[in-house]
Amino acid sequence: MDIAEVLKHTSPDLFIPDLEASDKTAALAGLVEGLISGTDIQNPDTILQMLQSRENLGSTAVGPGIAFPHGRTLAVQRLTILIARCPAGVDFDSEDGDPTKLFFMLIAPPQDTGHQYIKSLAALIDCIQDADLREKLMAAGDYESFCEAMREG
Amino acid sequence: MHPQLQLLVALQDMDEMLRETEEQGEEFEGLGFKHGGLEDLKKAREELASKIEPSLASWYRRLTGKFGHAVVPVVGNLCTGCFANIPSSFVSKTNVNKVQKCESCGRLLYWP
Ligand SMILES: [Zn+2]
Repeated sequence: MDIAEVLKHTSPDLFIPDLEASDKTAALAGLVEGLISGTDIQNPDTILQMLQSRENLGSTAVGPGIAFPHGRTLAVQRLTILIARCPAGVDFDSEDGDPTKLFFMLIAPPQDTGHQYIKSLAALIDCIQDADLREKLMAAGDYESFCEAMREG
Repeated sequence: MHPQLQLLVALQDMDEMLRETEEQGEEFEGLGFKHGGLEDLKKAREELASKIEPSLASWYRRLTGKFGHAVVPVVGNLCTGCFANIPSSFVSKTNVNKVQKCESCGRLLYWP
């Protein structure tokens, strides 16, 4: 799946340029809060519980300084992606112990039978392997330039 | 939302996660994700299930066996399980007195 396709599932309202979080729990809560305020999605508790369970299964901080909280829940009707930067970094239980500074959160409905969200995850993970790109993403002034950098790879 | 429905939705989300981990775990692992907490997640699932009233829990099991999913969202006044119309008297997120079932297929209804 190409990155432009993946980015169709997000929006300027689903971009948090400077998330502040002291720990993993606060970071997840901040991401869900952003999701609720940027969409008409309701039921934050259900989403938070699902994400927490997913983290208990294994941390989603698998990129260098990047985490991909994800999962399926009845609380959403379509694949929705929230992007957040946390310039100060937060401990998200990454394997290398490095703080997480960038989040791509993917929330999919149970009936996402085309497995769009796994394909989107794969495309995002592939895209951010480039260290120069990661620097550009952290420095991007706004949502548009963030997406532009992603599309240019 | 009815507290029991909230639990049922959480249970179904968790069952979905367990199923996905079992069926597509390797695909996720190929992307770098790890699933070391699988046994703990199964325990958490049982703990959650034990909080659900026995009659609802057995209804959930029966429907899951029959349809795959027991709880379905109501979208545009339709049960998304069988596409039967849900009477407007049901359409109330504020109706927290009971967990509503589709009169046609019996699935448990959730208003997202
Ligand atoms: Zn029905």
